[in-house]
Amino acid sequence: MINVQDIRDTARDLLAKGEVRAVIGYRRGSRGMLAEPAFITSPEQADELVWDPTCFHNLSLYLVHDRKFLDHIRKNPGAPVAIIAKGCDARSIVVLLQEHYFKREDVYIIGVSCEGTGVLDERKLAPHLNGAQASNAAFDGDDFVFTTAEGEKRLQAREVMADRCLECRIPFPKEHNAVFGEDKAGRQMEAPFAALTRFEEQGSGERWDFWSHHFDRCIRCFACRSVCPMCYCDECVVDSITFPVTTETTAEDKANRVRWIERSAVRSENITYLMTRAMHLAGRCTDCGECERACPVNVPIRLLNNKMEREAREQFGFEPGASIGGPSLVASFLDSDPGDFIR
Amino acid sequence: MSEQQVYEPRVVAFLCKWCSSAGSDLAGVSRIQYPANATPITVPCTGAISPMYIMSAFNKGADGVLVSGCHIGDCHYIEGNYLARRKMQLIMELLEFIGVEPNRFRMSWVSAAEGAKFAQVITDFVNDLKPLGPQEKLKKAEHS
Amino acid sequence: MEKILNKKHIDDWIAALDSWDILGPVLEDGIWAYQPVSGAVRLDHPNTRQSPKGLAFPQREIFFKFEQIKGEAPRLTQVVPDEQRHAVFGVRPCDGRGVPRMDLVFTDHVEDNYYQARRKNVAYVGLACNKPPGPNCFCLSVGGSPVSTDGLDVQMTDLGDRYFVKAVTETGKGLMTAAGKLFAEPSAADQKQVEQVHADAVAHPQRAVRNVEAVPAKLKASFKSPLWQELARACIGCGICTFLCPTCHCFDINDEVQSKAPLKGIRVRTWDNCQFPDFTMHSSGHNPRENTGARLRQRVAHKFQYFPENFGMPQCTGCGRCVSECPVGIDIVAVVNKVVENAG
Repeated sequence: MINVQDIRDTARDLLAKGEVRAVIGYRRGSRGMLAEPAFITSPEQADELVWDPTCFHNLSLYLVHDRKFLDHIRKNPGAPVAIIAKGCDARSIVVLLQEHYFKREDVYIIGVSCEGTGVLDERKLAPHLNGAQASNAAFDGDDFVFTTAEGEKRLQAREVMADRCLECRIPFPKEHNAVFGEDKAGRQMEAPFAALTRFEEQGSGERWDFWSHHFDRCIRCFACRSVCPMCYCDECVVDSITFPVTTETTAEDKANRVRWIERSAVRSENITYLMTRAMHLAGRCTDCGECERACPVNVPIRLLNNKMEREAREQFGFEPGASIGGPSLVASFLDSDPGDFIR
Repeated sequence: MSEQQVYEPRVVAFLCKWCSSAGSDLAGVSRIQYPANATPITVPCTGAISPMYIMSAFNKGADGVLVSGCHIGDCHYIEGNYLARRKMQLIMELLEFIGVEPNRFRMSWVSAAEGAKFAQVITDFVNDLKPLGPQEKLKKAEHS
Repeated sequence: MEKILNKKHIDDWIAALDSWDILGPVLEDGIWAYQPVSGAVRLDHPNTRQSPKGLAFPQREIFFKFEQIKGEAPRLTQVVPDEQRHAVFGVRPCDGRGVPRMDLVFTDHVEDNYYQARRKNVAYVGLACNKPPGPNCFCLSVGGSPVSTDGLDVQMTDLGDRYFVKAVTETGKGLMTAAGKLFAEPSAADQKQVEQVHADAVAHPQRAVRNVEAVPAKLKASFKSPLWQELARACIGCGICTFLCPTCHCFDINDEVQSKAPLKGIRVRTWDNCQFPDFTMHSSGHNPRENTGARLRQRVAHKFQYFPENFGMPQCTGCGRCVSECPVGIDIVAVVNKVVENAG
C-alpha cells in the first residue's frame, strides 16, 4: 500500500535540494473526486500531490510538451524534471527514450506501482453510485473507497477498474529512479488481450459492422492524438499546416496537393485517420488507455492499438517499452519474420 | 451480360523501382498477356511505402492494393524489403481486423527477371478481386 | 398556451407530428445523443454528450459542388439543405439558450444562408431541469436558469406522471395543436405544482461563475496575465471543449477534391476549433496564439468578454460539458473565477 506522504516527501526533497526543476504529478482538481495533472516547482507545493484511483493521466505527455513547446527547455534542459509514473506511463517514457526524444538524465522517474489494482474507469462507476457524486476516491487494498454525500461507498476495484488495468501484465514501473509500492506482476485479473480476444471471435462481417459504426461516430476532436505521449510529430498527416495558401496559389495547385485526409468527419476520412494512427503507434503504444478514456464519444480506440500490440508480440516477439536500448518495431526486423503471406 | 461480368477491379500496385517495376516492364516487352487492371506506382523501395499509402489508395477508390518488391536478400538498399515485410504484415492484419476482405491487399516478391511471375501475380489478384465486387468500405463517398 | 400531457401520451403526440422528423435523447455506446426516434421517446436523460447545435450548424456542410473540364469554365452547383422539419425533444435549458446565441452569430452583419435554411426547420422542445442533470452545471451564474424558456419552442416540465407543457413560440403552439386532443387543461393544482417544481429547481445549489457582469472588464485587464499559461499548463489542445459546446461556432472552409481529371469536388464547411494549434497558424509559420495559454484565453474571453461586448450577454450558457469532459481537468468555472480574483 502506497502512502502518498512518501511521494510528497520525495518530491519536496528533490525540489528543496534543487535536484529537479519541477515535479509533474497529480493533485485534486476542481471537479469532484477527479485528480488533475500538477506541475510543482517549489517544495511547499509538494503537499498538493495526491495518489488515488483517478490518477489516470499518462503524464509523460508533459515531458513531450516541455520539449516541443518550451524553447528554453529544448536548448538548455538544466536540471531534470521529476515525473510520477505508473507501469504503463513508465513504459511510455522508455519508448520516448528509445526514440531519443530526451535523455535519461533529463528525467527523474518517481515510479508508483499499481500493486493489486489500477485506475478507475469513470463509466463503470456511475451505475454503482445511483446518481450520487463522489467527492473523493481512495485505494484500499483490493478495494476502491469513494466518498459521497450519502457516506462511504466501498467497491471491489475489479468491478470499476479500467479494462486495460484488468488485463495489465506489468503493473510496475521497471524503469525508475525511485519507486513506491510492491511489484505485483502476475496479479492480472483478466487474460492479456481479453477484450481483443473476445472481439476477434466475431466474423469479418460483424467486425466491419462494429467498426463502420464507430468510424461514423468519430467527431475528429483529436483528443486521442492530443492526449497521447507518442503522438508527438511536429506535423500530423491530418493537419493542413503544411499547405500555405497565398495569393499566388492557383486552383490547380490546390487540386494537386496531396491531402491524405480531409477535414470532413466522415467515415472514409475517419478510417484513414484512426488506422494511420494505429499503425504509427504499433510497437510504441504501451496501452496506457488515455486515448480511449479521453474520447468524448467512446470510440473503442484501444482495440486497434491492442491489436497491433498483440501482433507485434506474437509475430515478432516485440514488447513496447521494454528496454531503452532496444530497437523499435518497424525500424528493425528478424530473418525469421513471417513471410508466408507474400506471393 | 450481367453487372458482375462487366466489373473490372481497379488495382493500385506499388512496385519497387529495382525489381518489380522492372519485372512489369519485362512482362510488357515479352508481350505476356495479363489484365490491365493495375495502375503501377513506382517507389524507390518497398521499405519506403508508408501504410498510409495503402489506406490512401483504398480511400481514393482502389478495389485492391498490391505491394511488390525484391526477393528477400535482393534489396538494393540491403534491408528495405525486410522492413516492408513487417510493416505490410501489420497493415494487412489491421485491415482484416476491421473487417476488410483479406484478398483486397496483397504483397509479392517479383524480381526484374520475373516478367511471367509479375503477369501471374496480377492475373491471380484480379481473379481474386472480381468476386468481391467494388470496394466501398474505405472509399471516399462521392458528394456526401 | 399551457397544457398537461399524461406521460403515457407522449408517444402519441410524437406520432401525431408526422410531417416532422423527431429526435430525442438516446443512450447508445455509453453516451446520450440526440438521434432519430420513432415511437418511444423517454425523457429521463441527463444532458446529452453533444449539444443539439449540429441540427442548424452541422459539423460538415457542403456548400457546392464544382467541376471543370479542361478548357471550359468551372461549373458550380449549389447544395441546399433539405426542407425536412426536425423537432428535437428533451433539450435542456442551457442548450435552448445556446440557440439565440448561435442565431446572433449567424445573422448579425452577415446572414448565413445555410445556417438559416436549417434553423428555420428546427423546433426545440425543451425539458426543464428539476434538478441539475450534471455535477458541473452552472447556468444560474451566467444569466440562465434550469427553467429558462429562452431559445425553446416548447417547454416541458416533469410533474411525475405527467408533463406540464408550455408553448413558447408559434412553432411550439403548432406542435401542440397538432395533437390537441391529447392535452388537458392544467388545473389550479397543476399550476401550483409547476411553480413549486420551478422554484425548487432554481433553488438547487449549483457551481457558479462569480459576479458574471464584472467578468468582461476583469478579463480585459488580464489579457497579458501570466496566469493564462499557468491555467492552461495541462491543456492538450484537443477539440473536446469546443466541439461539445452549445455555442462554439468557429468553422473552416475547404475544397475537397474528389477527382483531378476532370477536376471535380466539393466545397465544405467543417467545425474548427480555437484550441487546435493550427487554428491561427499563418502560412508564414507565425502563430499569433502561440501557446495553450493564449488559446485558452481566447476561448474564455470569447465566452465572457468579447461576446458580452458585442451582444450584451455571456456566450456561455453554463451547460458544463467542457468542464466534465476535459481529459485533463481544465474547468472554465474555476478558470474564470481565478482570473477575476487575480485581476483584483
